[in-house]
Amino acid sequence: MWEDMSLEDVVRCASDPYPSIREWKRKSGKKVIGTTFADVPEEVIQAFDILPVTLMGTTKPLKRAQALLPDNACSLARSNLELVLSYETDLFDGFVLPQVCDTTQHMSDIWRINVKADYFESFLAPRQVDRPSAKYWVRKEIDRLIDSLKNFSGKDLGPTDLKRSVEIHNENKRLLKEIYSIKNENPSSVSSKEFFSMVKISQQVDKGEFNRSLKKIKDSLKPGKKEGYIDVILCGITCEPIEIYGLFDELKLNVIADNLLIGSRYLEGEVEDGEDLIDKLTERHFKRGFFSPIHGNVFAEFEQIKKLYKEKNAKAVIYVHIEFCESQEYDLPDLKRMMKQEGIPMHVIETEYQTTSLSHIRTRLQAFIESIKGI
Amino acid sequence: MSEKQKKEMTKSQILSKEITEEYLEEAFRAKKEGRIVCYTTAISPVEILVAHDIIPIYPENHSVANLVAKKGAEMCSFVEGLGYSSHLCAYARCDLAYRATGRTVTRGIPEPDMFLACNAQCFTLTKWFEVLSRKGGGLPLFVFDTPQYIRDRRAREEIVKYCVMQLKELIALIEDLTKRKFDYDRLREVLKYSREASLLYRRFLDMAQYKPSPISIFDALIGMAITVYRRGTPQCVEYYRTLCDEIQEKVEKGIGVLPKEKERFRLYWENLPIWYKFSDHAKLLSSYGAVILTSLYVHAWSFEFDLDKDPLYTLSENYVSRFSNVTLEERVDMALELFERYSLNGMLMFMNRSCKAVSFAVPTLKEILTKRTGIPALVFESDMGDQRFYSETQIRTRIEAYFETLEKLNLARG
Ligand code: SF4
Ligand code: SF4
Repeated sequence: MWEDMSLEDVVRCASDPYPSIREWKRKSGKKVIGTTFADVPEEVIQAFDILPVTLMGTTKPLKRAQALLPDNACSLARSNLELVLSYETDLFDGFVLPQVCDTTQHMSDIWRINVKADYFESFLAPRQVDRPSAKYWVRKEIDRLIDSLKNFSGKDLGPTDLKRSVEIHNENKRLLKEIYSIKNENPSSVSSKEFFSMVKISQQVDKGEFNRSLKKIKDSLKPGKKEGYIDVILCGITCEPIEIYGLFDELKLNVIADNLLIGSRYLEGEVEDGEDLIDKLTERHFKRGFFSPIHGNVFAEFEQIKKLYKEKNAKAVIYVHIEFCESQEYDLPDLKRMMKQEGIPMHVIETEYQTTSLSHIRTRLQAFIESIKGI
Repeated sequence: MSEKQKKEMTKSQILSKEITEEYLEEAFRAKKEGRIVCYTTAISPVEILVAHDIIPIYPENHSVANLVAKKGAEMCSFVEGLGYSSHLCAYARCDLAYRATGRTVTRGIPEPDMFLACNAQCFTLTKWFEVLSRKGGGLPLFVFDTPQYIRDRRAREEIVKYCVMQLKELIALIEDLTKRKFDYDRLREVLKYSREASLLYRRFLDMAQYKPSPISIFDALIGMAITVYRRGTPQCVEYYRTLCDEIQEKVEKGIGVLPKEKERFRLYWENLPIWYKFSDHAKLLSSYGAVILTSLYVHAWSFEFDLDKDPLYTLSENYVSRFSNVTLEERVDMALELFERYSLNGMLMFMNRSCKAVSFAVPTLKEILTKRTGIPALVFESDMGDQRFYSETQIRTRIEAYFETLEKLNLARG
């Protein structure tokens, strides 16, 4: 299903992966579990031979979510709810839903009550991460998730199930990292839209199959030109709709590094090999950038972006702000101020999944590019 | 306070004023003496701080004072000029405006030395305190993480265990900051006061069961302040004892917020109050023979500490299980219990733009409550502190229409 995809197929699939997941489910007879962003260890779900699909909203019109959530809910929450209420109503056998901010705190309850599925589980990732108790808690939660999935699937984990799942996930991340570095040097051979589409569907389709596509794609990439491109760092949680990457490509902005969830924060998540893989999954939780902006340490984020900016010799930072994401909104004023003090040009793009016209973003980006050209 | 003013006040009002003044006096003095001032959230295990002689300060309460004085729109729009968006919590916006300008209707609050944020209340406070902590150059911020108290016995046991571990970490942090050993006996004593005050506070809230009710939610909200910031002290106990005696006297004399024959609608309120509309709403509702009696919000401080248990355990159990941190189904049960206990026959459900933590569940909550009680609900949107989001005529018209519906359905009492 996903083992022989071209770059065009990848981009097409990234804009709407659900028909292919539906088809896969029909053919394989396997179960599909949806999760929302927040460090749910997808390896564990896959180890039960269930497909974990990270839900990334829908760009289709909102119809039913409005009645359940006010209009100042972030579009990730609203469009994810819409996706399962209106568009993919019978695709998912269940959901594992984490809670990371005020918006998501009750989301799992709202879903459980309003959405049809056989299985709902909460993943209660710690919202403090610097103390020993956090480690204890992650381990406990992974154990609880495993028990819960055992109940749901009626299966036990075999001695090698988790190991195999971890290997597939690790391989996926390694392949993507390799393609990322090829792209950085050869932006005309693989575009930002193509690359981030690969990262996006890696979190939604069967990675075992998709890794085969990634290998072929990687081997087929030809050296391309770098001249004329402006290297930029991309920051935020996600960057949607995916057409925004198309804009970057059109304006010859080469995303050379990022701290996105559908980006480096996913790629950093390789799990080390070891005797006790659950412990290793626990350790991984603390090694990569967390999803939850609740752990937002603006000083650390600033240092991280500054480091990337300098190391990569980038020309600017582009920050994607999901409208109504209050976690970002508490941090942004200080981040902007620090960037300005440091003399790093930063441009903020406001997005919503339901954004239909990108022309204003194009105009503002063009103006921004003009302003940094002299630097 | 002049003698005349004093004469017009009830005993509990005088006491409340004294306790508040004394508390602030102590807080400012403590700051001068180099003692630690800890900003914390309304729902947080403040007993730990009190037991260690650390002054807890609630920026939320300070913001409320400004919002009641109708300073919300002015302060919030100022903050938008600093780059913060208009739909963040009005308490936070108001506080950030105060930090930037120093302007407030009170004498202000002392500057913090550390922060304790408990997310059983919301995540907003964590982000807001993060902003304050970095403005202070990276002051210590302790997040007391209370995972949602999901309904699963085994999960709950683990959650409480995790919370106890964290309280130990908090104690280690404050021991380190103060270079003083934590005194568990003192904590037990503080907890005893907290428990006593909490039981009295609950008794006070429950007086709304009488018909006519001697208190409305507005009294409950005013009466709430002391338990928020003085929990764990003998003064707090004394205050609620006085308050209960006063209300009991009213009950005995048959004095209600409305006269018995006029009290027709006994209402449930969902969410926080609209602070700048306090008295207007009370007047408007009483013209319909309606009185709002209660909400889960005011009940959030009726703790049930068990003195026979390990103090850290009972603290954890209580703080993790507030209405804002349980599942929606359980929140429904809590609300239904209030409907029953207080004989409620109407509900106003406020979608508060400022408070996503409480508001996002409202539409689903409304559906279930209406289905289970057969009572229609009025849902309306506004903001608890920023008047720019309040539409006077719209809300008035909707309230009028709501009471007409209730009349038609013949739900009035009496
Ligand atoms: S963190 Fe932001 S984007 Fe993510 S769910 Fe919460 S509000 Fe939405
Ligand atoms: S009003 Fe809501 S968002 Fe604001 S501090 Fe209180 S609980 Fe948090």
